[in-house]
Amino acid sequence: MNRLWKEFSKGLWKDLPPFKLVLGLCPVLAVTKTAYNGLGMGLAVIFVLTLSNLLVSLLRKVIPAKVRIACFIVVAASLVVCVELLMQAYAYPLYQQLGIFVPLIVVNCIILGRAEAFASKNPVHLAVADGLGMGIGFTISLTLLGSIRELLGYGAWFDMQVLGDWFQPFTFMVEAPGAFVCLGLMLAGMNAFTNWQRKTKGLEAIEGPGHDCKSCGMCAQKPTV
Amino acid sequence: MKEMLKMILVLSLICGLSGLTLATIREATSERIEEQVLTYVQGPALKQVFSDYDNNPVKDRKSFETTSGPITVFPALKDGKLVGVAFETYGGGYGGPVGVMVAISTDGEIVQGIGITTMKETPGLGARAAEADYREQFRNQSPKEIALSKDGGKIQAISGATITSVATVTAVGEAVKLFNQLKDKLPTAWGS
Repeated sequence: MNRLWKEFSKGLWKDLPPFKLVLGLCPVLAVTKTAYNGLGMGLAVIFVLTLSNLLVSLLRKVIPAKVRIACFIVVAASLVVCVELLMQAYAYPLYQQLGIFVPLIVVNCIILGRAEAFASKNPVHLAVADGLGMGIGFTISLTLLGSIRELLGYGAWFDMQVLGDWFQPFTFMVEAPGAFVCLGLMLAGMNAFTNWQRKTKGLEAIEGPGHDCKSCGMCAQKPTV
Repeated sequence: MKEMLKMILVLSLICGLSGLTLATIREATSERIEEQVLTYVQGPALKQVFSDYDNNPVKDRKSFETTSGPITVFPALKDGKLVGVAFETYGGGYGGPVGVMVAISTDGEIVQGIGITTMKETPGLGARAAEADYREQFRNQSPKEIALSKDGGKIQAISGATITSVATVTAVGEAVKLFNQLKDKLPTAWGS
């Protein structure tokens, strides 16, 4: 149970995909014009990531090492097409908004990254917990980024006008450069918070890339051939 | 050898299963997707092309056979009388087919208006075909006069997007041809 919680919760803060792993930035930057778009994209990613982790973990003993990447991609691509069809059928306006970024979930590094680094080496329940955690972390990040951009760019939140007429919308925030600036400031803020946290515990502050490579293992993967 | 066979077998099996799943889901959702497209893509285009009607063209649509396959026709009714029909035709644009909703009066003498449904034209150039400035040129024109001004017609092409302009005009021409095929069946189809 402890292990299960650990794998689930690491996606929420320790390995938070867009901010700590800095993975899957393409949708993070492109679709977060509004909080609603961010949330929709996040939900699609939760669905794909959890099921792809589940399937990859189930098939991990069957898939030959040499063709594993091809297998992972087929699994992810099929799930993405499912999401696309379901979104067209039940949330067409969202589909129109997200457009090309739905099919692009296939090549989102998080999906393949989690399949390769985690699901293909761990039992099913842990893989599902990992996928859910990462997906939820991704969704929260996207929704938060979308909220900030929508609030500053349109003075609204989830399409509701929250700021009054006195507010001059800051259109820069809903353009592409606004996404980079906002993401950068959020990353800086998170790093500052982490360092402050470490200092209060009497640890030394992290300079430069603050990611703990030993526990992550995303880049230290060796093919299991 | 055994390893290679296993690779082929496993990959083929996974691909086959995923194909089967996708086909099933597609089959299950196709009807609903069609409905959604009608509501969100063709519905707004219909509002642009018809100006005076009191029915729901999407709900009253009917399918007709033509020499180039079946086509969905959307009627505009006013006090129960058919005042115009609209259907979607395509012209070859710069980034793929340009879908144009063309409304034609019941007698076929007047093109009541056009609306763009689907296109992948360049934003700022070809995509301006969807803007009112361009679309409104087609309103209440005789089909004979719908041609680009360089060909002696009344339509001013979008500057920098000749291909898209030609595509819309071609689509209208196509629509007029289809209309002539259906001419005799249309007036009675909605019971007036």
